[in-house]
Amino acid sequence: MKEYDLFPYSKERLGDLDVALATNIKRWAENEIISKRLEFKEDYEELLKPALKSLSLDLGLQKMLWPESCGGDEHTGPDAAFTLVAALEQIGRADTGLGYVLANTLAVQSTIAMAANLKKELCAALASLFGGKKLVVSALILTTYGEVGDAKEEFRGKALQCTAKQTDKSWIINGQNVRPIASGSVADIFGVMCSVEGSDEPAFILVPGTSKGLSRGEVFKKTGLAASLNSNISLDKVKVPAAYCAWQGEAGYQDMMSWFYLALSAVGVGSLLATYEIMKQWGDDRIIKGDTFKENPLTASLMAEIASEVSTSRMLTYDLAGMLAQPDVYGGAGGDATFTTATMVVHHVMQAGMKATNSTMELMASAGYAKEWQLERYWRDIKTIQMHVGAYEIAKMDIARYFYDCHKI
Amino acid sequence: MRSIDDFTRPKEYISPLDEPLGKIIRDWVEKDVIPYRRLYDEDWLKHEYIMPPFNRLLGEYGLQRLLFPEDLGGWGLGHSDYAMTATYRMIEEMSRADAGMAVAFGVVFWPIMLITMEPHVNRRLCEEFAPMYCETNEACFSCLAMTEPQGGADIENVHIMKGKTINTIATLDGDEWIINGHKLWPTNTGGVCKLIGAVCNTKAGSTDPNDIALIFIPCDAPGVTQGTAYEKAGMAADKNGDVWFDNVRVPAWYRAHGPGLDAKYFNEVVAIGNGVGSTAFNSGQLLGVFEILQDFVNKKTYKGRPLKEHDAVAGVLGDFATTLLALRTCGYQAARMMDRPDLYGPRYSDEQLAKARAWKYFCADQFVNIMERVMQIFDTFGADRDWDIEKHWRDGKIVQLWLGGKQLGQMEVARWFFDCETL
Repeated sequence: MKEYDLFPYSKERLGDLDVALATNIKRWAENEIISKRLEFKEDYEELLKPALKSLSLDLGLQKMLWPESCGGDEHTGPDAAFTLVAALEQIGRADTGLGYVLANTLAVQSTIAMAANLKKELCAALASLFGGKKLVVSALILTTYGEVGDAKEEFRGKALQCTAKQTDKSWIINGQNVRPIASGSVADIFGVMCSVEGSDEPAFILVPGTSKGLSRGEVFKKTGLAASLNSNISLDKVKVPAAYCAWQGEAGYQDMMSWFYLALSAVGVGSLLATYEIMKQWGDDRIIKGDTFKENPLTASLMAEIASEVSTSRMLTYDLAGMLAQPDVYGGAGGDATFTTATMVVHHVMQAGMKATNSTMELMASAGYAKEWQLERYWRDIKTIQMHVGAYEIAKMDIARYFYDCHKI
Repeated sequence: MRSIDDFTRPKEYISPLDEPLGKIIRDWVEKDVIPYRRLYDEDWLKHEYIMPPFNRLLGEYGLQRLLFPEDLGGWGLGHSDYAMTATYRMIEEMSRADAGMAVAFGVVFWPIMLITMEPHVNRRLCEEFAPMYCETNEACFSCLAMTEPQGGADIENVHIMKGKTINTIATLDGDEWIINGHKLWPTNTGGVCKLIGAVCNTKAGSTDPNDIALIFIPCDAPGVTQGTAYEKAGMAADKNGDVWFDNVRVPAWYRAHGPGLDAKYFNEVVAIGNGVGSTAFNSGQLLGVFEILQDFVNKKTYKGRPLKEHDAVAGVLGDFATTLLALRTCGYQAARMMDRPDLYGPRYSDEQLAKARAWKYFCADQFVNIMERVMQIFDTFGADRDWDIEKHWRDGKIVQLWLGGKQLGQMEVARWFFDCETL
C-alpha cells in the first residue's frame, strides 16, 4: 500500500498479519464505502450500519480483542496495540465515524478482555454478546462538565454523570439525562463511569442496553460522525451483577483511556491519510495561473504542511502503540507516563487533523466545502471526535500536572 | 452581564441610519430567524423555512430597494456616504443569527452596486431593473456570476490573468449580446435568482481588460438554465449552483458600463465583497457565538466553579473577545475606506483592493482559529446542533475560501505593498 511507503511508521513492529488485515480492510473500504458514498452519502441504514456489521463480524474486529474461551480471537496481548492502529487507520480513512464507533467497543473490551486486565467472569457473562454472531455496539459514558447548582461528584474536576450503589450481588445505577459519547440510541452495551456511594474512587460498570430502567431519548443532530447515532439516556435504578464492574479507581481509568486514545489517534491518522489523498488529487488535476496547482510555490508550501501533519501524527501514534505494546519498558497503560503520552498524542492528532483538513479546504476553495468532494465530511468528523476527546485547556491540566508536578490545578 | 453591544464600534463614523437599520434586522432575526435556524441545514434544497423570512425582510419591509434611487422607489443608499458602514451593521446583525441568510442578503445588492452607486450610476439600467425589486412584496434575488469550472481565482486575478481564463463569451450581434458559458457557485442561484450580473469576456482568450464585460442577464431570458443547488457543509440559506448560458440574448445596453470601466468596477465589487461583506459575516457570527459562550461558561462548571472562572478557560475567552474586537475594527475600517473614496482613493483602486483582501483573509483566519479553540471549550456539547455553535463553525469556514481564497489574497497584498511584478 502506497501510504505505508510515503508516511513513515515503525515498520519493524507491524507483523505480516497486521499488514494483511490492513490490506483487507482497505480493499473492503474501496468496495463497501468509498465506491458507494456519493450515492448513499451518510445514510446510516443503507451504508453505515451494514458497513459496521461487516467490519465487526465479517472482518472480525468485534472478536479481535476477545478471549478465545468466550468465542473471540484472543489477540489480547499488549502488541495488539499495533494491530489496532493498522486496522483503525484504514477504517478511519474510509469513514471516520465507523472508526469512532469501533473505538468505543474496543475501549470497553480493553477493560475486561486484555490479558493484563482479564475479568474472566465478566467475559463469560458477555460471551454471547461479543463472541456471538450479531453486531454489538458499545458506548462509553464518561465525565462531563457539572452544572451550577447541581452538585455531582467530581472526578478530575468534571462531574460523574451516574451514581452507583453496591450491594452484595449487584450494582444499582442511577443517572438522569446522561450523555454517552457515542451511539446512545443504539448501543447494546454501555460502559458507565459512576460515582460510588461510600467511596472516593469512581467505578466503570458495564450496563446492557436492554437493562430494565434504562430509557433512551431522541437521536440528536450533531456536526459529524454519522455512524454514531447518539441520544441521551436515563438510568432509573438499573441493576447489574456485581461482576459487571470493569475497574475502579484512577489506574483503571487511565488504562482504558490510554487504549481509547490510541484507537482515536489511529482513526485520526486514517482521516489524515484520506485528506492527503484528496489534496494530492487536487494538486495534480487543478490548474492555476496556467500551471499545475502543486507546482505553485505558495500552494506547495501549504501542501507540505499538510503532509507534515499526516506524517508526524502517524509517527506519534505508532510510538504510542509502542509504549502500550511494551508495558515492561514504559509501565502499564494505566501508568501516568503512558496515559499522559496518550493524552498528548490524541490531542495532537486531532489538532493536526483539523489543521490538515482546514488547509486542504482552503486550497480547494468552494469545492472543499461541497459534499461531493468528500473532504468536508472528514473535517466535520474529526472536529466531532475532538469535541468528545474533551477541552484541550482541561486536558492540559493533566499534562502540566505530570510534567511540572503541579498540585493546585 | 455584558452584551454584544459592549463591543466597540466607531461611533464617530457610523451611519445616521445605523440604529434604525440595526433594529430592523435585529428584531427580524429575533422573531423570524433564530427560532427556526435549527431547521435550516436540512432545508438547503427547498428553502421552505428560509424563504418566508426573506420575503418579509426583502419584499415586505422593502430592504431590497436600498440601493435604488428614491424616484424609482428605492431608498437611495447608492448615493450615501455611509452605504458601506450601514451595510456592515446590517450584515453583522444578520450573521449573528445565520451567516447564510446574511450572505444571500448581501449578494442581492452585490451586482446592483455596479449600477446604483455613485460615481458610476447607470441610470438606464436602474430604470430597467428597479421595478423587479421595488414593485413587489416578494424577495428578488440577484447573483454575481464569476467562477467557472476551470477556476475562480484566475478570473478574479485581473491584474495578472487579465480575464484570459474567462470562458463565458459575450458576442455583439447588432444591438444584442449573445452569451455562452457556464458559471459555478454564484450565491443566490440553484433556481432562486432573478437577475444575474455575469462576468464575461468579449473575446475568447483575451488579455485586454477592455474586453472584460459585466453584463446583466434576467434569469427568465431564453437560454439561461440554473442547475440544482450544491449540498455543502453549511451556509444552507446561501444557495449555490451551476448556471448555463446557451445563446442567451440581451440588449447591448445591459452591459454595466463599457470597455475598461467594467474591469475597473469589477475590482470595486470584489473589494467590497472582501473588505466589507466577508469581515461582517465573520464578526457578526462571533457576536452570536459570544452570546452562546457566555451562557455556557456561566452555567457549566469545572472543579465546582463556573468554567469562566478557570484561568486556562478564561485565557481562551479573553482571546475570543479580543478577536471579536479586532475583527470589528478591521471591518469598519474597510467599510469606511469604501465610503470615503475622497480620503482613501477610488474603491476600485489596487490599493483599496489589496487592503480589502488583507482585512478579509486576516479576519477569516482569525475567525477559523478562534472558533477551533472556542468550540473545544464546549467539550462533548460542542458538536451538538442544539447549542448552535457548531453551525457558526461550519457556516463561517466558507468565508475564508471564497473570493479567490487566501492565496490570491496574499499575492495581491504582497504585490501592492512590495511592488512585486510577476506574482
